[in-house]
Amino acid sequence: MINLIVIVISAIMLALLLAWWRWPTFRVWIEAPKYSMLRQECRFDDQDTER
Amino acid sequence: MTTFAQNLSGQDARSNNPSSGALPSIEYDLIRAHVFASLATLVISVLFGILVATKFSFPEFLGGHGWLTWGRLRYNHTQGIFFGWLGNAFLAFFYYVVPRLANRPVLSRKLGWFLFVVWNFAVVLPGWVLVCAGFSQPLEWAEFPLIVDFFVVLAFVLMVFEFVLPFLKARLSDLYVSGWYIIGGIIFTMLAYPVGNLVPELVPGARGAAFSGLWIHDAVGLFVTPFAVAIAYYVIPATTRRPIFSHFLSMVGFWLLFFTYPLNGTHHYVYSAIPMSAQKGAIVASAYLGMAVILVVTNQLLSLRGSSGLASRDVPLRFIWFGVISYLVVSLQGSVQALMPVNRFIHFTDWVIGHSHLAMIGFASFIALGGIAHMWQRIPGTRYNERAMNWSFWLIAIGLTLMVTDLTIAGLVEAQAWQSSAPWIDSVRSIGSYWLVRTLSGLPILAGFILFWTSLITGPRSETITSATRPVAAEDVAAFEGVSPALAKLSLSAWPGYAHVVAFGAGVGFFALSFLVLAIIPGKELEDEIKQAAPVTMATLTASEQRGRVIYGREGCAYCHTEQVRSLAADVRRFGAPTEPWETKYDYPQLWGTRRIGPDLSREFNLHSRDWQLTHLYNPRLVARDSVMPPYPWLFSGNANQPTQEGLDVLAYLESLGRARQLSGFDRQTLTASVMPETMDMAMASEPSARATPPSVPIAMTGGYSRSSPVLHPASDPGDLQEEVSRGEALFVANCISCHGSAGRGDGQASASLLPKPANLTAARFSDERLSSVLWNGVAGSAMPRWRQLPTEDLRALVAYVDSLHSAETVTTAPDDKTPPVDDGKSLFAANCASCHGDAGGGNGPEAAALAPAPTNFHLKMPTQERAWGVLENGVPGTAMPPWRNQLSADQRHALVEFVRSLYNPPQENVGQ
Repeated sequence: MINLIVIVISAIMLALLLAWWRWPTFRVWIEAPKYSMLRQECRFDDQDTER
Repeated sequence: MTTFAQNLSGQDARSNNPSSGALPSIEYDLIRAHVFASLATLVISVLFGILVATKFSFPEFLGGHGWLTWGRLRYNHTQGIFFGWLGNAFLAFFYYVVPRLANRPVLSRKLGWFLFVVWNFAVVLPGWVLVCAGFSQPLEWAEFPLIVDFFVVLAFVLMVFEFVLPFLKARLSDLYVSGWYIIGGIIFTMLAYPVGNLVPELVPGARGAAFSGLWIHDAVGLFVTPFAVAIAYYVIPATTRRPIFSHFLSMVGFWLLFFTYPLNGTHHYVYSAIPMSAQKGAIVASAYLGMAVILVVTNQLLSLRGSSGLASRDVPLRFIWFGVISYLVVSLQGSVQALMPVNRFIHFTDWVIGHSHLAMIGFASFIALGGIAHMWQRIPGTRYNERAMNWSFWLIAIGLTLMVTDLTIAGLVEAQAWQSSAPWIDSVRSIGSYWLVRTLSGLPILAGFILFWTSLITGPRSETITSATRPVAAEDVAAFEGVSPALAKLSLSAWPGYAHVVAFGAGVGFFALSFLVLAIIPGKELEDEIKQAAPVTMATLTASEQRGRVIYGREGCAYCHTEQVRSLAADVRRFGAPTEPWETKYDYPQLWGTRRIGPDLSREFNLHSRDWQLTHLYNPRLVARDSVMPPYPWLFSGNANQPTQEGLDVLAYLESLGRARQLSGFDRQTLTASVMPETMDMAMASEPSARATPPSVPIAMTGGYSRSSPVLHPASDPGDLQEEVSRGEALFVANCISCHGSAGRGDGQASASLLPKPANLTAARFSDERLSSVLWNGVAGSAMPRWRQLPTEDLRALVAYVDSLHSAETVTTAPDDKTPPVDDGKSLFAANCASCHGDAGGGNGPEAAALAPAPTNFHLKMPTQERAWGVLENGVPGTAMPPWRNQLSADQRHALVEFVRSLYNPPQENVGQ
């Protein structure tokens, strides 16, 4: 049980780190939502300001 | 104003989430409705909590009616916080944030109102009423009855349509972390809820507990946590106008949380009968969880970099900040609590209650309040009153800090008492003042919540959004512009558009995994073990016992009394052998419990007399002066001697606890072992093979009659004796006067409903051997319990004090002053009394073995003439001793009185030991 948990968690973490290290595009893709969220928030604020 | 949206207007092609065109509509009415519902249910739930806390200090407070009894209010407190407060707050936030993240409106306004009605008028309100009326489920975080559970599941299905579907329709290529948490949380909770609520009704005992453990932690880990973390991840950048530190780290945290949270469940049952492999797996997962939370919190705090001034000025952000810090503290605390060396000490204590309040108020409620306040500034026509909001923050923060500190210390005090051999009631007495402080600490928290509500309805109506005027930093705009070409290229690829599908699959997959490793595999192991170990003749509960079990559950007894003896020396010494899985094979649902305010009840069979049990149920303080247990007068018709059928059912159930174990002979071999528990390391003894191995189970302090009880002689030195008598008097007042009365005359409050009556300790001289034996073994067939858990010095002091009670002997009812010959008494005794009391008056006649209480041994007890005469006149009700006034003349009785008194011949009195 313990081995299963440790192996699966480690595998997922390693896969994520590997993807982040190996593919720069992955880094771009995975960081993009933090900008789009903010942009969307600004759009709503703009709408509220215009209201 | 330069806005981020304007700056990036040329970058829309990168995503299928257009930033141009009309914005999705937001259901502001539904937000307002859920916000007000959340705050109304919050105040009511906290009132429930304060009533519950008050009852620890004043157990009789509102104690006369079942609707307001401790257990039912406790159920409603936690379920109200869970569904009423946090559920509504999260729903309000979903309506605000899902259209923003998905760039699509929620599915349907009508569906939203239907969900509102279901959540509040088919779940929260009827749940409260049904629990108060006595319809509930005695499972942690699953207390609302099954009929309500149906509507809860329905509500989660509706949430999938209302909130998850917009994400699926949008097919976003860049799903923000809050969206991941919302989708995962809704899906996972929808699946986990029936497992925790329904399966334990179908799978009994230890196997059911494995499923309960799953839900206990899922409720917090997969409902409360994801949604609270989603709010924090949204409000922080929306307020600071800066993107979070790292979305990559946020996703690593997401996966770690969703993987490890469900695997934590069994850490609520460490040292239990659940297979050790599952327990250890949960402990390892708990350690991982701590690391995951460090990651999440670090990322969130780094997202506040450069905004410390804003966090102090902006009250909603301050609420969020407090919640994030609490999240770190409570999670690390949780990881440490799961470790075996810590768990064996603090589990079941108030420490855990402090931990859960820090989680539900410090973490979840603070973030939910911050989320509501943040939204409120951005909803048309609503603004909060900043002064009131600020005061609200400080009141709640101060109250919570006081409460958690108080409960943590109380838990340590309790734990220390439980590790000792002191009577259980000493642990209750030792934390009385802490419970009072806890109650008082709830008042500022309640005031803070009310003030928060007030701030929402007293704010200015037309103020502009202050934070919206704060532009996005140029460096962040530049950072996005730098990555835009790569994103545009990436958008040509189809796979990123299925991020939400991955989230959906993750929810289902991890649910299945936790189900498998925490419940199904351990359940199979338990099933096999039960088949091998269960006695062939193990009887099921009778109809009355089964009804009693239901009442026991509905009154919340399992929230103060566990029914699981853990494989720990302290548990075994106090309660008896560790609980075996087979003992629980008929327990639908399991009633193991997760808290001990009263003692464990798994070995209650033959531990107390029926009179004692009924008197204790009617009013616990009649037999245990300092008990904080609620009274249950509605189970009686006016007094403890007149139980209703429900009262008799509960009695029957209590008397069945541990019966199967005792009658099976399972412990016959093990109970002969004389291993000192203090020297044992039972850390791993819950392995099935270890549990069944003999000397792992020592004789419990609450065990059966022991001929080897020590004879405790008071001090022979007058000065030391006086000191012992004084100490004994204090112990007597603390533990004995409920039955024996303040003067030891057997006329305490409980005496009215006990049969045989408690002994009049002034009406006889007892030998040290007799008193020692009674204190060590109790008196079978009476309400007199064993006190062998007291330290030897205390027992000796009690012997000294009771010795001092027997009064000067007077003859007031003897027929004349003539002293009859003892020889007459001897022949009368041989003819009439020897069959029970033995030829020599040693209480060992041929009939004695079948009698409980046992006949008096006159070698060790010399009644006063008055008492002996009274017994011959009236017998001893509740025992086999009949009245003799119609069979023997006054002279004959007088001769008997003198004879039995002449038999007193204790060995070695007052020689010290």
